[in-house]
Amino acid sequence: MYLPDFDYHSPESLDEALSLLAGLGSGAKVLAGGTDLLHKMKQGDLAPEALVSLKGLDELKGINYVEGRGVVIGALSTQNDILYSEVLAKKYPSVSHAAKKMASNQIRHLGTVGGNIVNAVPSADLPPILIALGATITLASTSGKREMALEDFFVEPASSVIEEGEILTEVAIPDGGFTGSSYHKFGLRRSGALAVVGVAVSARVENGVIQEARIVCASSAPKVIRAPKAEEFITGKTSAPDTLAELQAIVESEVRPRDSIRGSAEYRRNLAGVLAKRALIDAVESGHGIHAED
Amino acid sequence: MSINTKIIGRSVPRIDGRDKVTGAAKYTGDIKFPNMLFGKILTSPHAHARIISIDTSAAEALPGVKAVITHKDVPDIKYGISPARWDENIFCIDKVRFVGDKVAAVACTDEETCYKALKLIKVEYEVLPAVLDFRKAMDAGMPQVHDEYPKNINVEIHQEFGDIEKAFKEAHLVRTDAFLGNRAYQSPIEPHSATSLWDGDKLTVYSSTQSPHYFQYYIAREFGMDMGNVRVVKPYVGGGFGGKMEPTGLEFAGAVLAKLTGRPVRMFFDRHEMFAHNRGRHAQYMEITTGVTKDGKILGAHSNFMMDGGAYTSLGIATAYYAGALLPLTYEFDHYKFDLFRLYTNLPACGAQRGHGAPQPKYAFESHLDNVATELGIDPMDIRILNARRPETVTPNDFAIHSCELTQCLTRARIISNWDAKKKEGGMPKGHGIGVSTGSFVSGAGYPIYRTDLPHSAVVIKVNEDGTSATLYTGAPDIGQGSDTVLCQMAAEAMGFHYEKMKIIAADTETCPMDLGAYASRLTLMTGAACKSAGEEIKKSLLEMASSMLHLPPDDLECEDAIIYSKSRDGKALTFQEVARKHFVLKGPLIGKGSYNPPKLGGKFKGSPVGTSPAYSFGVQVGEVKIDEETGEIEAVGFWDVHDCGTVVNPRLLHGQVHGALSMGMGESVWEEVLFDDEGRIKNPDLANYRILTALDMPPVESEIVESYEDIAPWGVKEIGEGSTNPTMGCFSNAIYDAMGVRVYSLPLSYEKVWRALKEKREREHGGKE
Repeated sequence: MYLPDFDYHSPESLDEALSLLAGLGSGAKVLAGGTDLLHKMKQGDLAPEALVSLKGLDELKGINYVEGRGVVIGALSTQNDILYSEVLAKKYPSVSHAAKKMASNQIRHLGTVGGNIVNAVPSADLPPILIALGATITLASTSGKREMALEDFFVEPASSVIEEGEILTEVAIPDGGFTGSSYHKFGLRRSGALAVVGVAVSARVENGVIQEARIVCASSAPKVIRAPKAEEFITGKTSAPDTLAELQAIVESEVRPRDSIRGSAEYRRNLAGVLAKRALIDAVESGHGIHAED
Repeated sequence: MSINTKIIGRSVPRIDGRDKVTGAAKYTGDIKFPNMLFGKILTSPHAHARIISIDTSAAEALPGVKAVITHKDVPDIKYGISPARWDENIFCIDKVRFVGDKVAAVACTDEETCYKALKLIKVEYEVLPAVLDFRKAMDAGMPQVHDEYPKNINVEIHQEFGDIEKAFKEAHLVRTDAFLGNRAYQSPIEPHSATSLWDGDKLTVYSSTQSPHYFQYYIAREFGMDMGNVRVVKPYVGGGFGGKMEPTGLEFAGAVLAKLTGRPVRMFFDRHEMFAHNRGRHAQYMEITTGVTKDGKILGAHSNFMMDGGAYTSLGIATAYYAGALLPLTYEFDHYKFDLFRLYTNLPACGAQRGHGAPQPKYAFESHLDNVATELGIDPMDIRILNARRPETVTPNDFAIHSCELTQCLTRARIISNWDAKKKEGGMPKGHGIGVSTGSFVSGAGYPIYRTDLPHSAVVIKVNEDGTSATLYTGAPDIGQGSDTVLCQMAAEAMGFHYEKMKIIAADTETCPMDLGAYASRLTLMTGAACKSAGEEIKKSLLEMASSMLHLPPDDLECEDAIIYSKSRDGKALTFQEVARKHFVLKGPLIGKGSYNPPKLGGKFKGSPVGTSPAYSFGVQVGEVKIDEETGEIEAVGFWDVHDCGTVVNPRLLHGQVHGALSMGMGESVWEEVLFDDEGRIKNPDLANYRILTALDMPPVESEIVESYEDIAPWGVKEIGEGSTNPTMGCFSNAIYDAMGVRVYSLPLSYEKVWRALKEKREREHGGKE
């Protein structure tokens, strides 16, 4: 399979990239790692007139802790950058762990966090844990920057609120009240497998009681979704077995998966409940750390 | 029996290892010629349709397109495995029979133009109703895939040996279980390709093939050429597993395009096209009935099978016979009945895949045997030991078994897997289960792939003029399994030479003597036998030469480690090198020749040749799995494989074959299945959604061999490559059953199916209590 013909632009600064995009209009696409975009182009699903490559934009790289903003992840950070980040290893190993579960080593060297978000596929592995941790994203255009909760970004499969001319520049995980977080992915083999279901949970626990929790499910609905009833249910409770069984049932009732070649809707519904329960246990018992089994 | 060998039995490094790990190895798709064109085949988008018209004019007008061909430009001679079932044309003439059936081809100055040109060929179709479910293919009113085969029956087998009715009447228990297999695809990492070029009337085809000879035969036949004018060369091959046994169309189309344009043409499949061409594992519906005594002794068995053949015969008639013929190998019983229908469907044709026909029936039989054992309250290991085949026995379908150490394999597997301790109450952690399964396979087919009286293997060894090296010329294709290495070991052993000084030129129909190819796990025994004869001829010539140089009788001389010495007198010795050189000076080239023909094998009934072999391997696998009760996820915790494969030529390569076979078998057991939509299109023609195993999915594997010697074979060798795939699916099925108390009756034994079976079991138990 071959790429269709297109114009290739390689700006050297974000400003230049934004002006280029503004000038090129709807025929242009932003190229970061290319692991999704180039594949779609080769398959004939997309045929943009122009690609604006972000590869030269060092300002979009790097994972740093910024006082007052939290952990700031440049949109061009690759999945392996996230996996091997010392900052994340210290603050949120759960995020590194989600990256580790993605694709294969070769693809993790290319694929970026920005691409993983902007593609807006419901099976993406990074958005659930980032949403669970309350991450915000920054979208830049020639008319300025806007910041929003990642949670509000997705609309439906392959669709988000990003506007023409905008580039996602960074993701920030604010210092927050969560004492623990975890992402559980269910794939059909140990490498190179898309999530049949993925669930991230974050929790603020005091004296064993869950004060606040977020339960975020991937591959469970047309977009990455939270499970508000389950979150409400668990608030004020402990992770006792009976409670968890009830939680599992509530999550199952909240997700809206469909049948696919990776699993029936019924099976995925079950998986969402099971993974939510397991991720919650980890978030309560292991902080942001990684559960021993993984 | 132990044998005294110098090179056989050593894990010498692969002769092609350095080339492969450094990337120096050239595969078919790497070979370039000046002025070379690129070619691709246009395939059908419909499962079943009549071709109304084909318009190639727009494609021909595209700059860079050098030729466009359809059925009008090629011979209309049908081909296939046997004359009664030649059912395939180079290009479809009146109908297309599956999504992917070949319609036309282009040759262009570059690859990209090929894809553009294919889109410009306009084919008008009248879409016909399709047969997509093989289990309904015989039903009244179903469309006909081929007019010549009523009720879509491609192959029908009914065999009975002994008296099955009597056996069942005398049995304490007669039990029937039914199982459904999956369509699996070999998924070699190297895609198929072929590069064709002409020099006057002579055609040369470089091809990614498992059998240069078979390709040469069929190419010559299609084009009415003398075989001597067709040269097929196999460069390095990145895996075949049965999928590169038969012509793909790339060779035929490439030959015609190269002739028309006067330029070399490289043809190739991309991954999607590989899946569409297929020739992978047949999905089978399998009913197994056995009658057993109270103690678990099998008295008789009945296999009643249906096979999804796809649109063409491919190698499927052999697959069909193998499916039932190999089942009586591992257990002794006198009465056996085998019924089978291989059915045409409008899906890609199925063919030979590692273990050819045997693995799915083995899954069914081994799962069934565990059900029988459970019903009788017998340990699965015990019921197998009780029924295990013994050496020097004959199967009900007339296969003569010589060496057979199956009981020893079972006993050893029992020990190294810690079977007895694990089977005790609480012997394993919760969620764990352990299963056992056996397998057996031919060490080469007793009869050739097409009717011929040519020898099955032939080799020439030439000692090079100064005596410092020797070259083995063999038609045997190394497709990654390591035959180049093993055959050089065997040649060097027979000559009394050094492996490190062997060179090999292989799998080129012009420079090498013929060999039927890499299939039916045949090369170590059959081509090995030819190597032994050729090497011994060289040794004999050398000893005669040395006899005159040392003035000693040849009987007193021996050659080992490249030294010729006197057995009776110390100090009387010459080097291989000086004697070989002297031979060349005084007597001309030092050449050894060898060829191999199997003895007459098998019975006299219809289909009796399929499954015959000079020798059979036997093996046992024990697998321990851990099941996640909430998700059905299966983790392979450990595998133990114990094999009787006769004398081992190269232990490291042998264990590599066991690991590789296990990984393929595991994939087919749990993960792999080619899926189709309701119009016959493949839903997962890629390696993301057709999930072969990754290295991370492999469990720890202990691979052992038992002492065994096959009298009929050179140095006592037998096969390993295919047989080790046979037990795996049954092993998984039984381990899952042991862990969960539920049986999944269809392959693959996917996580979701295990989860569903567990859920249904819980619901049953819950319902029972209320």
